[in-house]
Amino acid sequence: MKLSRQIFLAFFIVLLLSVIDSMTNYLLSVRVRENIEFLNRSEAIIRNSTRLHKGIIEMQSGFRGYLLTNDSTFLSIYDQGHKNITPMFVSQKELISGNSAQAKLLDSVYQLHRQWITYADSLVDARQDLSVSESSRAIYNRLFEKKLKKKIGKTLNDSITKLFARFDRTEYRLRNQRSERLLQSIRTTHTISVVFLSSTFVIGVLSMVYIVRLISRRINKMVALAENISMGNFTTVHDTARDELTSLTTSLNLMSEKLKKNIEDLEKQNKELNRFAYVVSHDLKAPVRGIHNVIQWIEEDLGHELSPELRKYLSIIPQRTKRMEDLINGLLDYARTREKTQPEQVDTYALVKQIAGELIPRTFRFELHEMPELFTERIKLEQVFSNLISNSVKYTKRPDGHIVITSRRIGDFYEFSVKDNGIGIAPEYHEKIFEIFQTLRERDESESTGIGLAITKKIIDDKHGSIKVNSQLGEGAEFIFTWPV
Amino acid sequence: MKKHKLLLVEDDELDVISVERSLKKIDTPYELHTAYNGKEALQMLKGYKDDELPDVILLDLNMPKMNGIEFLRVLRKDERIKHLKVFIMTTSAESIDRSTTEELGISGYIIKPLNYTDNTKRTGSMEAFVEFHLRKIMSGGEN
Repeated sequence: MKLSRQIFLAFFIVLLLSVIDSMTNYLLSVRVRENIEFLNRSEAIIRNSTRLHKGIIEMQSGFRGYLLTNDSTFLSIYDQGHKNITPMFVSQKELISGNSAQAKLLDSVYQLHRQWITYADSLVDARQDLSVSESSRAIYNRLFEKKLKKKIGKTLNDSITKLFARFDRTEYRLRNQRSERLLQSIRTTHTISVVFLSSTFVIGVLSMVYIVRLISRRINKMVALAENISMGNFTTVHDTARDELTSLTTSLNLMSEKLKKNIEDLEKQNKELNRFAYVVSHDLKAPVRGIHNVIQWIEEDLGHELSPELRKYLSIIPQRTKRMEDLINGLLDYARTREKTQPEQVDTYALVKQIAGELIPRTFRFELHEMPELFTERIKLEQVFSNLISNSVKYTKRPDGHIVITSRRIGDFYEFSVKDNGIGIAPEYHEKIFEIFQTLRERDESESTGIGLAITKKIIDDKHGSIKVNSQLGEGAEFIFTWPV
Repeated sequence: MKKHKLLLVEDDELDVISVERSLKKIDTPYELHTAYNGKEALQMLKGYKDDELPDVILLDLNMPKMNGIEFLRVLRKDERIKHLKVFIMTTSAESIDRSTTEELGISGYIIKPLNYTDNTKRTGSMEAFVEFHLRKIMSGGEN
């Protein structure tokens, strides 16, 4: 799976959990609001119910009072009830809409009330007509005997009271149920919230750790690969995951393989070049040797027959073949400076002393100061000192030659100095002398092939050191070079 | 004194002359035959009767038509001449040449110096160098 997809998925899961958590809380709040509304309404219903009941009882009291006292104050209370009770039923009915059981109960109360009204009205009407005529008195008395005494009204009233009690009890029960449910849903939501929150946290942390570890592990692999490449080990990294980092790994692997191939090609070419140089110099040397041999044979066999002039001319040839051979050897050496040799512990003092012993004439004064111990390619360092010392000897054409070799440490390098009191080098040639085939003196006069200093510079360059010369014409020369510790 | 019979297989005339001149300096009777490549040498060997075969073959490696190693391979397969003593005289310092010829059976491997100045230091001249080795070969010392 792609890395971006994995990260996206992790974020998505965390977000989804948060959203579900929020949704649960929202639904709870909706339910709480609903329940609160319900409770408010329920309170209003009970209040109404009480008021209604009270109104009915007052009406009944008014009715009884009027019948007993014939006081019109009681009658007005009764009439008030007539006017008010029915609207109160209507508004109560509206409040309990949706609860059919309660509505039925209320309807039964209303029915009973209507019955009572019919009964009460007939008595009240009869009582009002009482003073008008005797016949009306008889009607009233009959009604009184027939209805009031038979406690019809009381039975109705008791039923109404009972119904009201039932209505209120039901309403209270409903209310309790609702609040119980509300509490329950709050508790459930709390549990859900805790579960979701903790799982959001756990999943978030886990996926974070997973992704960070995934990425860092892969990146570490690639860092290791890059380090390997920088050290010349062209390895590759195996990567089976198919994501964005895989393409980076693939690119790195490709780069590594390409580098490896290029380095191998270069090494092969270098080898071929060395082989070429060897073969060329080998084949160049053979004819030179032949010429030399023939001249030698002429001198051996026919020496006494040769005129002095011819002998003189012939004597030039070995000089030239010698120079030719030196040139070929120089080229061969130049080509060989590329060849790597194993580094070893080198006592520079002993090395230089030995080289100086071979190259510096006895008449010269030679000073060798303190020299370091180095772990380096002995042959290369030997070549450098050998070239510089022989160069100094070559260009110090006086018996009282004086050569001084010193060293000092500068950071990661040692600086060596080879100083002579020879003929010196004019500043305009200070750069040129390190170029191949640059000999500043006449060919015949000098044995130089113009390769020695070029080789020296090449070796030092390969070691990332540097070489320079301090000199004025006629004032000797000092070659200063650096060599890594 | 028995006359040594040598077969020199060498394409470079200068080297042939070197050997000839060196032989003259050695006071051992000799008979020198020269072939300029392996093919020619094989033909010459074919023409010899058994008692005419050379005592020693001096073989160069780098030659046209049939080089030294090819010649040596053919020689060692031929019942009649496979026993002959062969000395390699070459300028090749390649270890593969040396090991190949040694596997095929040789009596000596002489590397001719290319650098005559080195050679001069050691033995005086190219010719003296050849003489030095020939002396050992003729006396049967290098076997």
